[in-house]
Amino acid sequence: MAPRTPSSISLLTSSPSVFTHCSSCLKKEFSSSQAPQTRLRRQMFAWLEGPGESLRYPLPNSTNYLSAYDKRGKLLREGEDTPESREDLRPFPLNQHFISESILSEDLRQEIWRRVQVEKKSVRTVSVELGVEMRRVGAVVRLVELEKRQRAEGKPTAIPYARAIHQMVPTTPFEPGKITPHEPINDLPVHPLTDQQVFYPTSESRAFNRTDAGRVFSGAPRLPDSQDVAQGGNPVEPWRNIKPEKVGRFQNETDVLKPADARIPHPHLVAFEKDRSDPDLRRKEEEIKARYNQRLLDDAESRARARQEKIDRDEKRKTRVETSRWQFVVTDVSMSSQATGKDGRGAKAPGMRYGVPHEDRKKGQIKIPTRVEV
Amino acid sequence: MVVKLRLARLSKRHQPFYNIVVAKDRSARDSKPMEVLGTFNPVPQTPLASQFQPTQDKKFKDIQLDITRTKYWLGVGAQPSEGVQGILGMLGLWEAKPGTMAARGSVGGAARMGGEKEAQIEGWEREREREREQEKEMERDAVV
Repeated sequence: MAPRTPSSISLLTSSPSVFTHCSSCLKKEFSSSQAPQTRLRRQMFAWLEGPGESLRYPLPNSTNYLSAYDKRGKLLREGEDTPESREDLRPFPLNQHFISESILSEDLRQEIWRRVQVEKKSVRTVSVELGVEMRRVGAVVRLVELEKRQRAEGKPTAIPYARAIHQMVPTTPFEPGKITPHEPINDLPVHPLTDQQVFYPTSESRAFNRTDAGRVFSGAPRLPDSQDVAQGGNPVEPWRNIKPEKVGRFQNETDVLKPADARIPHPHLVAFEKDRSDPDLRRKEEEIKARYNQRLLDDAESRARARQEKIDRDEKRKTRVETSRWQFVVTDVSMSSQATGKDGRGAKAPGMRYGVPHEDRKKGQIKIPTRVEV
Repeated sequence: MVVKLRLARLSKRHQPFYNIVVAKDRSARDSKPMEVLGTFNPVPQTPLASQFQPTQDKKFKDIQLDITRTKYWLGVGAQPSEGVQGILGMLGLWEAKPGTMAARGSVGGAARMGGEKEAQIEGWEREREREREQEKEMERDAVV
């Protein structure tokens, strides 16, 4: 009788089995020939070799979106040199409503920067001249400045990447003689105050205009008759109406909603258009232009004055004491009962508050700053 | 009981920040004061450069103070603590201790005079020397 060996030893010795010599047998791969392709895979290769073949080497200066080609891979527009139409700029064939909007070309970016920084034109003027939104003008100036600084510091820039992207997406060109507007510049976003439905009874004879509606939405009292156009008053012109008006109790003040004519980014263009349709100013293009420029100048001046006044007002409350290491800035503030509130816990008064718990460790407290001061 | 103008440190660890308060002398440092006059942030702040204000390299320490109320409390005899004395010294509301930051920065609001400050201090020193010389001369005369 052969000596018995413990079962654990028999496991250690490797005897040929399915487990040791045929791992593929366990993975359901019973055939060594090529796997049959799925239908979708076959279709994909058929497309790549058929209609997709024309997209292998993309046309220069074209987005090469699928919508520009027919089912057989033939370019729909007449020649390769003809500019792309709006129909060609739909990247998703199943979503016909999505149209790829153009971005600023490199020339246009540089031109915006030149007009603002070299010619010292205002952002407002450049926005109107080139048809680019004011916020975008500001962003372009900041980015080009950053780019220049990086170059000066010898830092690498991703120019080849930018160039490749610019070749793939539509861009707004810049030609000195012919300005192509980039986007609508005078759009007005819907103000959240106007979302509500207000039932406001008023006399039938009263001419209720947009200024009145704005005041009703923000809960402000009615304008005095001297400023109400419906009562024969003389209102402030929309482009001149830049002074914010507050309403509400102390520490709970809100801005009074101005009429849309005053809130749009370029109210001067409305005044310009009115001048153009004025029969008294017919064929006086020069004068219309001069008026428009004067309005822009007045606006810039009044804004600069208001800004300077604010800086002066703030500075007047400060005492600056120079020492060798730093400056002490003592600001004269008001700790009156109005600022601190009746219970001494007013949020507007400076200093840590008494009797108000710190809730920064409480669940759900958002600590992400809502604004950055630079 | 003496009423004091002093600093109350209400902030967290490693984040110093003080309220400038009016409180009774014997009350606890951070207890509810009779009145809050302002704040003092001892951490030097980097000034923000803006389009309208060029960059400043020098950092600043921010103090906010209701000067009218401070003057009132000083008028009725409130005693500022040493720290508050420093702040009031810079504003010329309290005589600054010689050798302190307040004395170097401003004595009686000398800082507000700007560049004239050094000239003024030099003038004082010259006067003092002159006085000393006069005293010496008088002593010599007396001896003679």
